Amino acid sequence: MTTKKKRTPNTESSGWVVIAPDSVTDTNKHGSDPAFLRLRNPSTDGASLYLLGSGDERLYEVKAFEEDFHSWFVGETGQRDGRLVFVTPMDPLFLILPYLMKSGREEKFQPVDQVVKDEQFPACSRLLSCTCSLLHITEEKEVGGLKFHRYSQEKTMNWLKRKVERTAAALKKKNVSVGEGVKSTTYIRVKSESEDREEDYLRYAHGLISEYISEELSKALLNHLGLPELTSPKEAEPPAKKRKLSDKPVEAGEDYTKFNSSDFARKPPKKMTAAQKTLAKVDKSGMKPMSSFFSPKSK
Amino acid sequence: MDLGPFEADNSVSCRLSSQIPDICRTEDCCLGVDEAGRGPVLGPMVYGICFCPVSKKQELKDLKVADSKTLSEEERENLFQNLDEAKSYVGWALHILSPNTISTSMLQRTKYNLNALSHDTAIGLIQFALDSGVQLKEIFVDTVGPAEKYEDKLSQRFPGIEVTVRPKADSLFPVVSAASICAKVARDRVVKGWKFAEDLGEVDADYGSGYPNDPKTKAWLLKYLDPVFGYPQFVRFSWSTAQTLLDSKAVTVHWDDDEEDGEKAAKRMNNKSMLSFFSASAASNDQSRQTHRFFTDRRLKGLSNL
Amino acid sequence: MLDIREKTRQNRIQRRRRNPQRPITNSILSIPGSSTLHVALEASRKMSCHSSVTHLRVSSVGQAERVPVHLLPCEIEHNGSAQVSQYFTATMSDHKGEKSVSFRGRGLKGQEVCCPAGYTGLVLKDVNKPGSDQEDRTVRVSSVFDKLTYWNLDNPPTSDDTVVMAMDWPELAKAIHEPVDE
Repeated sequence: MTTKKKRTPNTESSGWVVIAPDSVTDTNKHGSDPAFLRLRNPSTDGASLYLLGSGDERLYEVKAFEEDFHSWFVGETGQRDGRLVFVTPMDPLFLILPYLMKSGREEKFQPVDQVVKDEQFPACSRLLSCTCSLLHITEEKEVGGLKFHRYSQEKTMNWLKRKVERTAAALKKKNVSVGEGVKSTTYIRVKSESEDREEDYLRYAHGLISEYISEELSKALLNHLGLPELTSPKEAEPPAKKRKLSDKPVEAGEDYTKFNSSDFARKPPKKMTAAQKTLAKVDKSGMKPMSSFFSPKSK
Repeated sequence: MDLGPFEADNSVSCRLSSQIPDICRTEDCCLGVDEAGRGPVLGPMVYGICFCPVSKKQELKDLKVADSKTLSEEERENLFQNLDEAKSYVGWALHILSPNTISTSMLQRTKYNLNALSHDTAIGLIQFALDSGVQLKEIFVDTVGPAEKYEDKLSQRFPGIEVTVRPKADSLFPVVSAASICAKVARDRVVKGWKFAEDLGEVDADYGSGYPNDPKTKAWLLKYLDPVFGYPQFVRFSWSTAQTLLDSKAVTVHWDDDEEDGEKAAKRMNNKSMLSFFSASAASNDQSRQTHRFFTDRRLKGLSNL
Repeated sequence: MLDIREKTRQNRIQRRRRNPQRPITNSILSIPGSSTLHVALEASRKMSCHSSVTHLRVSSVGQAERVPVHLLPCEIEHNGSAQVSQYFTATMSDHKGEKSVSFRGRGLKGQEVCCPAGYTGLVLKDVNKPGSDQEDRTVRVSSVFDKLTYWNLDNPPTSDDTVVMAMDWPELAKAIHEPVDE
């Protein structure tokens, strides 16, 4: 009975059906409106949509339930786009972490607003207004009322481990089926069934947390959790192209510290503030290590 | 004939029946099966059975029941009155297949064709008579399809009963004519007094015969076409008349089981199996890491744009 | 109203001050030196692909009507008014929570699902048609809902239906994202 029908592209934007926490629409506390914006996804390194709300204090993730052949009736209207968008609170540290990790290679304490910068995603600096504690992933030093941070792999691993454990507990509580489709071939089973289940939950939770961190970090975390890597037919396939954090260094558009001078050498700064220009004129040949690093920002 | 039970919810099917005459429980009986309203694009299809003791065949014939199609609506109503007056030895039962049942059955994922639906309905009614204690010995059935196959099917289903399936049975066997009159009277009444479940206000009842070639029916179908919903449940969506009008005049609707060319279907199947076996991300193309199956199982994907 | 808008505008200005990389045409053009200008323009072009923002006008929540929402198992090539209550709601039946209806002659079975605790359903609409991808947009809340009805084609609803499972997400997201104690 059905005839062949060509699907015409859905070009007109009609509307979005969204499920969002009440904190997003809480109008009383904040003067400014929440904003959907694109930030660098720590797992894919590409652009993903997020929402910043409560005057940039809260970050939310945006995901869509999307299945082919769905549409909505909303009141007395039809809406062709049948997606259901979920806006859920997100830990801003996941988005800040890659920037700190990258600068962490220099093993120096830096003002965090010098580090969380991204030419492609200028809005990333707004993440610094979010309520979160950098101490989960960095070590902090305070000099002259100013705070400086350095990435700590150890702290990060512990922080992530706690997240994995909490997620595993939530999965268990929700009774989410976590049984592995693929079992280890090399791994000899000596554990009891219940311990095995425990491990399934941890692995599953690790997989979920890995959606928010780089592949390298995900592997390190697996190690930290004491879980052996599984060999599966999936992994026997040609490995998917390795995704890395951007090869490009974080560009410092506003560099008050003199320590990123190597960046200066590689590329000209985009635009200089008066302070930068002043700094640029300073003779950098006799750079002092830590002490100068903690010098307060020139305002 | 009390149509109340059907009219209470005309979106589903309904069985109505007369009292079972006592004599039918003790004497060998014959039973006729016929249908009304198979062709129309509007309204229900009604299946009817009528039964009486074999010994009363002549009395039934004397009631002058004849093929309902050759009679006017008024004549049919009168004959139904006669049958009602003979209720001491004549019983009947009806199964009203609502147009919504016809549409949704025929358009199911696993299509249920009209012949199968008809056969199952007839079988259901015969079983109802048996369950009510009617001593069935002979069954006469009118048919539109190939008679032999249907006869075999019924004989197998009802062993020990002599089954006769014959085209034009309604003009050959009075008990089939009687069944035909019951069915036709019910359909006429239901169509005439159709209570639209939809909230459409005053609906023009001038829908003609309901046959697709009736200009009045055609005009009505054009007048009551809603671009999104198509038609009220009074219309059989599974009829090509309705489908053709919707294809040209209503908003296009796509279902996951729509016919599509083989290549496209195969591709879709492939995608599906990829999803279920490997939890491969069907999401954004700029990511090579696989999305966790928590998300693929729930059809959740990240967005890069609103 | 005016107050909030003014505040928002000021916020935006402040944000630009905080974050001078936001493309402000004037300042880019005022950079002396042609090569710098080139780099600056190049950079602004690169940036622009991710710098557009969609503002959610939350003040509209107050006026938003609570409406019934239905998720259908088909794609309807239509955006706009539809006589949902006349044709759809009026013919829906409900037997112990399992709902039935038909759409275009096809039998649907469905059930209601509530928004997770602490969550509200919002239907967002563009305030004005967006010009280009690179321009900021504003969306408003046109309707709100706290439960939705989803429909399967032929099949009765079960807890394994994907949309029911998707509703697990907010609770799991909480476990993943809630800050851990220090």
